[in-house]
Amino acid sequence: MTEFLDLETQDAVRMPWNVIPGTKQEAAQSVIPISAIYTPIKPLPNTTPLLPYSPLRCKNCRSVLNPFSIVDFSTKIWICSFCLHRNHFPHHYQSISDDNLPAELFPQYTTIEYEPQNERPMSQFSQLVPQVFFFVIDTCMIEEEIGFLRSGLERVIGEIPGNSLVGLITFGRYVCVHELGFFGKMNKVYVFNGAKEISKDQVLEQMGFFLKKPRPATGVVAGVRDGLSQESINRFLLPAADCEFALNSVLDELQKDPWPVPADQRAPRSTGTALTVAAHLLGVCVPGSGARIMAFLGGPATEGPGSIVSKALSEPIRSHKDLDKDAAPFFHKAVKLYEGLAKQLVHQGHVLDVFACALDQVGVAELKVAVEKTGGLVVLAESFGHSVFKDSLLRVFQSGDNDLGLSSNGIFEVNFSKDIKIQGVLGPCASLEKKGPLCSDTTIGQGGTTAWKMCGLDKSTSLCLIFDIVKKENPDVIGQAANNQFYFQFLTYYQHSNGQMRLRATTLSRRWVTGPGNIQDLIAGFDQEAAAVVMGRLVSFKMETEAEFDPIRWLDKTLIHLCSRFGDYQKDSPSSFVLSPRLSIIPQFVFNLRRSQFVQVFNNSPDETAYFRMVMNRENVANSVVMIQPSLISYAFNSGAEPALLDVASIAADRILLLDSFFTVVVFHGSTIAQWRKAGYQNEPEHKVFAQLLQAPLDDAEAIVKDRFPVPRLVICDQHGSQARFLLAKLNPSATYNSDAPPMPGGDVLFTDDVSFEIFLDHLQRLAVQ
Amino acid sequence: MATPGGPRPGSIPPNYNPNSVSDNMKNLQINRPNQPPNPANAPRGPPPSLGQQPQSQSQPFSSPFSVPNRPGPPPPGVVPRGVVPPSSGPTPHGTLPPFMVANRPVGAGGPPGGNASLASRPMPPVPVPSTSGPGPFASTPSPTPPPVMPVGSGAMNNGPPMFGPPHGTPGGPQYPSSGVRPSAPTRPPPPPPQTMSSFLGGSFDNQPRGPPQVAPPTFSAPLRAGMQPSSGPPTFSSQAQPQGPPFGAQPWQMQSQQNVPPPSIPCSGQPPRMYGMSPPLANQQSMATISPATGPSGNAVSGPSKIDPNQIPRPVPSSSVLLHETRQGNQANPPPPATSEFIVRDTGNCSPRYMRSTINQIPCTAYLLNTSGMQLALLVQPLALPHPSEEPIQIVDFGEGGPVRCSRCKGYINPFMKFVDQGKRFICNFCGFTDETPREYQCNLGPDGRRRDADERPELCRGTVEFVATKEFLVREPMPAVFFFLIDVSMNALQTGAVAGACSAISRVVADLPEGPRTMVGIATFDSTIQFYNLKRAFQQPLMLIVPDIEDVYTPLQTDVIVQLSECRQHLDLLLESIPTMFQNNKTADSAFGAGVKAAFLAMKSTGGKLLVFQSVLPSVGIAALSGREAEGRTNIYVGDKEPHKLLQPVDKTMKTMAIEFAEYQVSVDVFITTQSYVDIASISVIPKMTGGQIYYYHPFSARSDPAKLYNDLRWNVTRPQGFEAVMRVRCSQGLQVQEYSGNFCKRIPTDVDLPAVDCDKSIMVSLKHDDKLQDGTECSFQCALLYTSVYGQRRIRVSTLSLPCTPTLSNLFRSADLDTQFSCFLKQAANEIPFTPLLAVRDRVTELCISILHSYRKYCATVSSSGQLILPEALKLLPLYTLALTKSIGLRSDGHVDDRSFWINYVTPLSVQLAIPLVYPRMISLHDLHTRETEGSVIPPPIPLSIEHVSDDGIYLLENGEDCLIYVGDSVDPDITQKLFGISSVGEIHSQFVLEQYDNPLSKKLNEVLNEIRSQRCNYLGLKLCKKGDPSGMSFFSYMVEDKSQNGLSYVEFLVHVHRQIQSKMT
Repeated sequence: MTEFLDLETQDAVRMPWNVIPGTKQEAAQSVIPISAIYTPIKPLPNTTPLLPYSPLRCKNCRSVLNPFSIVDFSTKIWICSFCLHRNHFPHHYQSISDDNLPAELFPQYTTIEYEPQNERPMSQFSQLVPQVFFFVIDTCMIEEEIGFLRSGLERVIGEIPGNSLVGLITFGRYVCVHELGFFGKMNKVYVFNGAKEISKDQVLEQMGFFLKKPRPATGVVAGVRDGLSQESINRFLLPAADCEFALNSVLDELQKDPWPVPADQRAPRSTGTALTVAAHLLGVCVPGSGARIMAFLGGPATEGPGSIVSKALSEPIRSHKDLDKDAAPFFHKAVKLYEGLAKQLVHQGHVLDVFACALDQVGVAELKVAVEKTGGLVVLAESFGHSVFKDSLLRVFQSGDNDLGLSSNGIFEVNFSKDIKIQGVLGPCASLEKKGPLCSDTTIGQGGTTAWKMCGLDKSTSLCLIFDIVKKENPDVIGQAANNQFYFQFLTYYQHSNGQMRLRATTLSRRWVTGPGNIQDLIAGFDQEAAAVVMGRLVSFKMETEAEFDPIRWLDKTLIHLCSRFGDYQKDSPSSFVLSPRLSIIPQFVFNLRRSQFVQVFNNSPDETAYFRMVMNRENVANSVVMIQPSLISYAFNSGAEPALLDVASIAADRILLLDSFFTVVVFHGSTIAQWRKAGYQNEPEHKVFAQLLQAPLDDAEAIVKDRFPVPRLVICDQHGSQARFLLAKLNPSATYNSDAPPMPGGDVLFTDDVSFEIFLDHLQRLAVQ
Repeated sequence: MATPGGPRPGSIPPNYNPNSVSDNMKNLQINRPNQPPNPANAPRGPPPSLGQQPQSQSQPFSSPFSVPNRPGPPPPGVVPRGVVPPSSGPTPHGTLPPFMVANRPVGAGGPPGGNASLASRPMPPVPVPSTSGPGPFASTPSPTPPPVMPVGSGAMNNGPPMFGPPHGTPGGPQYPSSGVRPSAPTRPPPPPPQTMSSFLGGSFDNQPRGPPQVAPPTFSAPLRAGMQPSSGPPTFSSQAQPQGPPFGAQPWQMQSQQNVPPPSIPCSGQPPRMYGMSPPLANQQSMATISPATGPSGNAVSGPSKIDPNQIPRPVPSSSVLLHETRQGNQANPPPPATSEFIVRDTGNCSPRYMRSTINQIPCTAYLLNTSGMQLALLVQPLALPHPSEEPIQIVDFGEGGPVRCSRCKGYINPFMKFVDQGKRFICNFCGFTDETPREYQCNLGPDGRRRDADERPELCRGTVEFVATKEFLVREPMPAVFFFLIDVSMNALQTGAVAGACSAISRVVADLPEGPRTMVGIATFDSTIQFYNLKRAFQQPLMLIVPDIEDVYTPLQTDVIVQLSECRQHLDLLLESIPTMFQNNKTADSAFGAGVKAAFLAMKSTGGKLLVFQSVLPSVGIAALSGREAEGRTNIYVGDKEPHKLLQPVDKTMKTMAIEFAEYQVSVDVFITTQSYVDIASISVIPKMTGGQIYYYHPFSARSDPAKLYNDLRWNVTRPQGFEAVMRVRCSQGLQVQEYSGNFCKRIPTDVDLPAVDCDKSIMVSLKHDDKLQDGTECSFQCALLYTSVYGQRRIRVSTLSLPCTPTLSNLFRSADLDTQFSCFLKQAANEIPFTPLLAVRDRVTELCISILHSYRKYCATVSSSGQLILPEALKLLPLYTLALTKSIGLRSDGHVDDRSFWINYVTPLSVQLAIPLVYPRMISLHDLHTRETEGSVIPPPIPLSIEHVSDDGIYLLENGEDCLIYVGDSVDPDITQKLFGISSVGEIHSQFVLEQYDNPLSKKLNEVLNEIRSQRCNYLGLKLCKKGDPSGMSFFSYMVEDKSQNGLSYVEFLVHVHRQIQSKMT
């Protein structure tokens, strides 16, 4: 296991199969797809140098010089490990020799970053603009929520770097674009009709961008280059330092959307139009430079394009059931709008972040496409007053160790050995539709390309790449003997949060094996955590895209096939079934994945499901695993903190449990502990130990909360308390209300009919050996 | 409102009811006692700054009107129609509400000039010896004009043709009228000059020019007779009296008797009047003889030249205030001329201010009416300003049940409903249905068949009452008074100073708006986007909300864009102050008028209200954008020439559709056009026209001279008596029906007109048609009911009822014709036709109308045999002159600017009767000799005929038509005079954007005084334009000389000849 973590530390990549089935057929038999979960800008070890020059690229395949390249020092030639093309070193590499290697050729620097100096930022638009934050604020909320949101934002405004540009839209029934640059004379607001779709041209026209200069006759109009004066842009986007006062004063006055709302109706909320306008405006003003639209939504969109429900309260917001039955009349229209928006934002290189804080659904399910394709952040909470929102927001702007490392304008490219093709990427990115020989015929997620746009990415953004092995069943001994390595190169070109463009190159090599005798090799290279996460992403993706898809069945089948192939058993003898330690936890992962919020949509709204999936789709393996199978730590007087089984049996009266399910962190006091605590023993000097016991899980929880985004919900509860459900829902129901055996004293039972892990395993064994 | 002087509502006496015009009137009454008759005491609200007023004080002679109220002081322009005197004045009026009504001077009896006239008045009673006199009068029904001509005819052949009435004639009978109407005396051989002058009041100077100057020899005899005004008139009147009723006679007589002591101003008002012209009575005819040679034979050349232009009929101002009782002896009393000053006592019929008919007797059949060639129409002006001395309209509250109405036709109870069956039932005077009297309303009848309580109940003894509207009349709570200001801030508007002008005007006017929770204001600006302002922000400056989508507009907020005035005064001031600077560098040349108006409408939709738009350029973008089709017309000559009148039609239906929607939601739009160029008034005007608003036109707008007028116009617009969300219907007795309404309103159902707003200046023409025969000897009733909401939120029904006798006799029709009303109808019909008919056809039609009336008279009523005489019915003797003037007016000229003509058409549509004549036949007075002439009683010198003969190069003249005021300066004026009047020694130095100032010399003071008097009469600030000989401004001045031959038409004399010839040709 640790070797995989080491690999991750070095290259930020986790692969279910670290030894790769060498042929198409074998890959298919391996059940879990050949794939990789890659975190493009995961912080590198401090020792890794930042190279201040441009990388050397293969003239043929554009891959970057890397430690796997074969270098001929005498002739100053290097051979590309992907296409085997021979490249001459350019002049400034002339001094290269065995003892004088550039850093990119050091074997330990398979992942390395270049930050070429003096290079203008990429893209046709150019012009380096500081990070842009465009706030889009819903005002259809009760005053209290507005107050929370206001205070949340006010906390953050001071944190925005002074040179970052800031813009502001508030919306309710209408969309109000605040002209912050006009402040001083009079607060000025452009009001757009939220019920109407607005085109970019209309924005250009109607917001007076061509008053002083005639509009150019042809061509795309955008940015300073294209004929917009800085002055007219600065009306809406101002350096934070210059507009802090204006911003604060607008926030001060932020009030409920004044349009009257009949008692039997929802407030008219034109989320779709507001976001469209924001996108247009950014597209007009700062195309190509990093910009985030940060939407703060307090309820469902009901007005104009992007509505998710009608205004009549008598009509409920769509549920999973409605979606399944295609009985959500607004859904497809809204999704279509946001798909268009996503496309536009991707083109402009801008990010959409959503902070949805409402008891109701706000339409995250519809917004998902736009958020995901742009690599935006999403936070879902019940209220703007909740720490989940407040702290998460703060984290976005925080600098220091815990910063998110928000970067922008990323382009992600891949290169492989010729026998590997890419089916697609599951994760927050958008295809750039760069087709090539490396593209597989089948596609999954963002496929059919070898380059992706990542408008927004941060330290933990992780992509799941699904590969296809195209090598035919061909006992080509020579090939196998001479070169049994597959090479992968991941190139990420992005704008670092310091504003500079960087290129990170990660080059991997993995051994492939073929033939019946190599199953053990495959098992040895199997990373169950990565496998579970890939399955999680895959099953979520299939649930969303495939009609009539039965996830439970699919998961079960997958697991059974996996076990049949890699388990050790005698046919038809369940009791003989044994799994190698490399595979031993995977059934448990699948068991928990089946029960997880990703697969069990019952009791979750489409918004929540979308939220969970979006977060999983951008998180790295470790965090994703926690989402799939929460971690449980128990604290007791005699034993200190130790991991506990995620089972109802772990509950004991004299224990404290700490459950981390990623979205929530639960501190659960056993009944006795709770009594003592209520009695206040922890405050008495003689019970210092008890106080420490109480404090330990809190400290750990604190540590978890501190470096997680979105900030999890911290629940502190007692056994038999109502909040305990956050824990109980995650536990294996080994003891239920109709179990034969009574629970241990101080233990607990679950009121569920779900099967327990034991029964699940029984079935698995039986089926696997058939 | 800073009200004029007076205590604010709060401090007001118990009866003070802030609402409704009528209430004001009440107050007025209350005040009356306090008000000394002496004008000096009259409310002088205006602060000292108004230079003028003080003056008037010192000069007791100035008309009472001018004093207190209306007029503004000249220059700085501030003062307006005096409506509300500026705040400070400790006026007794103070109590009165904002509307000018209240402020009007109360005292009818300005003592001044009166003396002389008084003296003369009494005389009437003396019997006159005239021979035939009694005849006509005695036989009431057939007052065919006395055979005037015989005498003259012979003589006339050779003699200069005469027009005029007179003479001759046995006309004795006519005299009475002359007595009545002081004007008569103009005749030359004034035997007793002194008497004359006394009659004339101040007009003595004029005499020489006076109209009918008869050739001495021939006519001497008749003349004398005629001329003996002193003795003459009396006779008739006395005669008449005994005889009583004969129609026609009576009225005049009565008037004479009731003459009120002349007001301080002899020509009190209004436009010069024609009445006095000839001694003959109203029922008499005027004759002009055209020598036979010119007549049929066609020797035209010599003909006209023989006519003495000084003798042809011309308006002569009346010098006294008349007291008019609407009914006398249970007979309708023909109203005094609309242009004269009169005080009405409502004795059953409504005041002619509210409703007057083109003919004061109703023809029994349609055939009779057609034969006469005249029109039968009513001009109603339901909220007209009363004379300050009149009694206020009484308010009747029937409580829950609402006003008593006919159950069939829904006519309102009025003095002409006949109670029968001991008062248990009543017969409707409109539909003839017999209704049960509601029990609580029953009352026994007296011996005369009237209810015993008739005199106590205003609805049974007054022609006009106001009923308190009950729930039945409310579809919603009465709307608040909403004023929304919308300002064009496009580049041109800023550069020309129009924005600054508008903002400053609004900011000052806001101070005059009624205080209180019901007054709400909003403001928005627009160029190529629309900017609203959130005024309701407790702690911050106003917030600008921009609506950028001008193709599909909306209001950015439902509340807070329109706010209670009391909550936002400071914001408003701040905002208005900053708008001009805020947009200073606006480079947007486009102006989204349609979108702006629509957006503002949406903001007001829930309440309705007044939308006041300040527009400076052609609306070029957004909803209802317009193109410069005038220029297109000019460049594409083919199109332009083909149907030039098309430019006077709205370009498409967009504005109309909008207007209908506005009207539906009770939004009324007024547009102030402050422009330098073509703005397509024809299209824009559709909106104000259909929503009960109006257009104001400042072209070319001058930042120097126009803001004063703009302010005054705006101020009058918002402070004059007015109502909102009004519905009006006119009902008439069986046999007649309303054919058409015409005016500024929207009509959704055939019977009613919807008036989102209606005010005291708006009049509506109601044309009538027969659907059956009327019985001779019966009366025919008309009732105008206006349901409206006052500025103070009261829902009222103002009901005016007029009952007129029916007649089967043609001559009665001519005798009772009302020239002013007739001509107003002409004017309005012509205006309505202009956009749809080639200009020549309109002119011909107008002329033809005139000719056919005169022809009918000549054919059926005149007794003169000679075809060489042009015989005019006395009542209509000025018809040819006005008709001629009409054909030369801006609207009917082809050389005019398209917008000028459109504006003219729009100005005419809702025009009141008393302003119709001055519009086509303006008043001209000379200024250079102001100080040398001691006009008795009147501030305003006597008018000069509109002919270039009367304009000399060393003179300075003022010409006003109720809307504009031109000051013409000859090229050899005495520098001393220009120095005194304009502070400049040479004419050439006067700034073309003229602003009149008052200098410290008698001449200048007098000029300002005159001007203010005129302004107060017209309820209009009258923009001043300076005209100099030899440049375009001079040309425009001369275009008003309607009596002269010009490219636009014949001279007056030629026209008479033309008319005469046409009649002759018809006769044969």
